[in-house]
Amino acid sequence: MLAGDTEQYAELVHRYRDRYARFATRMLGSVDEAEDAVQDAFIRAFEQLRQCRDPDNFAGWFFLILRNRCLAERRRVARAGPGTDAVVVLATEQADGPLVQEERRRALQQALLGLTPEQREVFVLKHVEDLSYEEIAGRLGATIPSLKMRMHRAYDRLRERLKDVL
Amino acid sequence: MTTVLHPLVKRFLDGELRLADLPPELHAEARAAERLLGAVDRAPVTLPAALEARVMAEVRQRVIAPSARRWWHRLAEPWEIRLRLRPWILGPALAAAAVLVLILARSQPPVPPVAVAAAPESVYVRFVLYAPGAHRVSVAGTFNQWDATTAPLAPAGAAGVWATTVALPVGQHQYAFLVDGRRWVNDPAAPMVDDGFGRRNSVVAVTAGAAGARAL
Repeated sequence: MLAGDTEQYAELVHRYRDRYARFATRMLGSVDEAEDAVQDAFIRAFEQLRQCRDPDNFAGWFFLILRNRCLAERRRVARAGPGTDAVVVLATEQADGPLVQEERRRALQQALLGLTPEQREVFVLKHVEDLSYEEIAGRLGATIPSLKMRMHRAYDRLRERLKDVL
Repeated sequence: MTTVLHPLVKRFLDGELRLADLPPELHAEARAAERLLGAVDRAPVTLPAALEARVMAEVRQRVIAPSARRWWHRLAEPWEIRLRLRPWILGPALAAAAVLVLILARSQPPVPPVAVAAAPESVYVRFVLYAPGAHRVSVAGTFNQWDATTAPLAPAGAAGVWATTVALPVGQHQYAFLVDGRRWVNDPAAPMVDDGFGRRNSVVAVTAGAAGARAL
């Protein structure tokens, strides 16, 4: 696609608007924040369109821009003040009832926000987006051992925060 | 309970080992950890359709080159013409306008006619769009029932700059530019509102006081 062709770019925006919406939402904790991030990423991508070396892989290139935007936002939030570090406690009367499942889901989402942005990124890509370590390594340009280290630390941190739930 | 998972349980969570591969004393820990993954929310997320319009409005603004943008602002901001027309001065004003049109017609290429008739309480508003490569541009809005044939823009000196002046009645008007008869473009310098159909229109507010036409 030629840089500056706004009508073709509108097609790309339409096609990829929701593709990484779930990733951004789980990374940032809310759909509203994800919407802002996706919007900023599309505008930044347009400005840097000439740097997209492989036009056939716009999606992968756009993902990296969105991912950087999400990481920057989480770092900004972390610098702004301490997050909610409280240990999550749930009702445990019915271990697997629908109410408990829903509470557990919300508790996990909250606990994910307590991870470092890098840990959360690997967790979301593997367990929400269902990518393998090989696929994640290919997307992020990271090594598999470093990804596993991040993930295993994330497991420990989640277990600490959700110890009364599991 | 230790908060550090056993390395084998972590590999189980990674999908590298099955529960049966773990020693029995780790089964309870593995099942508890598995419940953690069971709580992962994998529901798809759909973002509002308005996101696309916002992105494209920003993108179109960035398409305008910096020098052209300076041109645009010079043309768009100080060139608004503010006139209050009273019935008793309508005759002399129209005569003066006719003389002016005759003078301009001798020295310049023909200018498309202003299509909206001036009402007694109206303000002349200049619409300007930078649209390089366009063959024809018009402005349509609530003031001309979105009829894109009534208010064409003419080339206005600088390459790619199109302009026209339209008499608008006092009130708030929504509008957009139509480029080459097929592409709707919002005014990058004006505020926008939802049109109720998932798109956005530019807005201009025309007041009868000294402030004249102004952005909201």
